[in-house]
Amino acid sequence: MPDKRQEALRRFDSKLEGRLLTYLNSCVHCGLCGESCHYYLTRPDERYLPARKVDLVAGIYRRYHTLAGRLVPRLTGARDFDEATMHEMTDLLFGACTMCGRCSMHCSIGIDIAFLVRTGRAMLADMGLVPRELQSTVDAALRTGNNMAIPRDELVDTLKWLEEDLRMEVNDPQAVIPLDRKGRHIVYTLNPREPKFFPLSISAMAKIFYAAKEDWTLSTTSYDVTNYAYYSGDDEAAADITNHLYNEMMVLEGEKIVLAECGHGYRSFRWEGPEWIKKPYPFQVVTCLELMAGYIRQGRVKLDPSLNKVPVTLHDPCNLVRLGGIVEEPRFILRHAVETFIEMIPNRLDNYCCGGGGGQLSMSDYNERRLTAGRLKADQIRRTGARIVVAPCHNCIDQLIQLNQEYKLGVEIKTVGEVMADAIVLG
Amino acid sequence: MPPDMARRNGRVGAAIVYSFTGAMSPLKKETAYLHLPTYTAGLIYHIGTFLSFTLLVLLFAGFHIPGRAAYVLAALLAVSSAAGLSVLLKRIIKAPLRHLSHADDYLSNVLVTLFHFLTALTLLKTSLLPILLLYGSLLFLYIPVGKLRHTVYFFTSRIHLGIFNGRRGVWPVRKGGYDDRNAG
Repeated sequence: MPDKRQEALRRFDSKLEGRLLTYLNSCVHCGLCGESCHYYLTRPDERYLPARKVDLVAGIYRRYHTLAGRLVPRLTGARDFDEATMHEMTDLLFGACTMCGRCSMHCSIGIDIAFLVRTGRAMLADMGLVPRELQSTVDAALRTGNNMAIPRDELVDTLKWLEEDLRMEVNDPQAVIPLDRKGRHIVYTLNPREPKFFPLSISAMAKIFYAAKEDWTLSTTSYDVTNYAYYSGDDEAAADITNHLYNEMMVLEGEKIVLAECGHGYRSFRWEGPEWIKKPYPFQVVTCLELMAGYIRQGRVKLDPSLNKVPVTLHDPCNLVRLGGIVEEPRFILRHAVETFIEMIPNRLDNYCCGGGGGQLSMSDYNERRLTAGRLKADQIRRTGARIVVAPCHNCIDQLIQLNQEYKLGVEIKTVGEVMADAIVLG
Repeated sequence: MPPDMARRNGRVGAAIVYSFTGAMSPLKKETAYLHLPTYTAGLIYHIGTFLSFTLLVLLFAGFHIPGRAAYVLAALLAVSSAAGLSVLLKRIIKAPLRHLSHADDYLSNVLVTLFHFLTALTLLKTSLLPILLLYGSLLFLYIPVGKLRHTVYFFTSRIHLGIFNGRRGVWPVRKGGYDDRNAG
């Protein structure tokens, strides 16, 4: 253990460059961030204050890297990286934060608190203290190429069945879900939860591609858009998982990779991935939301909003919106695809996290906390009066399904693609 | 600048400007509009601090502050001292803040509030100038020790946050709605 601790501290030291150093030295403990945090708002326990989480990581920095921290640790709250600190870090950084970034956006100083939380998680990952189920999700992705360890044959069977379904849906025996084709304009990705639990979202995208006459393909070996190592804090594993998709793009020689509706998958592959693998991508990366919005704008897909009469609201996934900049595209799509679109309040960059991010859905020890933290989202949904909640993220969808049951919301949860596909007019 | 391997999707310079302007506005910033008294007190307190440092330099350089101006500035610093005290009281009274606070949080607050107060007194009674100079010098020495470091890090934090959000096209907030940079 002491060796591991030294190694974790050494790796922490090696990351102390401008951005991290700045944030570690910036918190003034004003505590105002509490009211931007869904954990603190639903359970006003001071341990859940985002500033408290910052202080755990910054306290270690002060202990080993500042004169006051070395000489008079109590003066500045410098703390040893000991068992007690590690235990508290695991509980709060993994179990009471979704890294949604809402507190960062509103921090008095401008500290990227989610970044510091991930830095703390990385130290715990170095110590082998990632919660077991989250680690096993990462391990499955590393071992099998997808986080649910779906065998290739099973995926292909599912896709063939969906292809039959597509042919009936569009009444065209030539309609296909192209697999492993080289040189296509688009290589589409999947969240493994789709073939496993939500095949209709794949059908929806296949129908949209069909309507747009897109030149696309799916890989049956490396298609997983998720990257749970982003949540576990393990940069090496994150780089390996990023390379699965990167290498597959090189093999398939696609022009553009289109990421399925997955918040952290988008953030991980689009924004963090090139940093992890230390090279820029030679291909373009876009979300299917950008693509679908483009189809509408270019007239490649015709929609009839009267085919979606039920009032719809939109949940903004944190990693796509606040941390990814995909803000208006889903709104643009929904305004063309449904009769009544109702915004949640607050929305866009200020939207509350549903509570399903940060790897929370893979850490059952914190289930009760996660569902309590989701109360704000449930209240937001209820206030809209909408009957369908659209969420362009499968983690959010899982959490919203559970919130629907827990808080008896009586709504239906769908992806943007599913709603758009329902509005398509073919021919 | 940190490494930038991912292809940019926005304007970093505009986002940095936004980080110091729009993003700090009480109309946008939740920590401001939900806590207007604290936000206002904090703003006054920080203005008082910059005013005190400016006056320290001016007085040290031998500038004479004329009578009426000295009274006005002293009154402003009395108000900023009161703002500092209110922030300190809040930290003492509110349990979540006490839980967050270390000795340095109280000490820094007291030291800076006293600095405002001493500067105000010196404006009214110039014979106190040597004491103010000594106090100001000691305060300068304390800045790197504790949270007063945010004098510098506030600015670098907001720059980094601006860079982060600018690259991703999150800031500045787009007013025109959907754009099809990556469509089709």
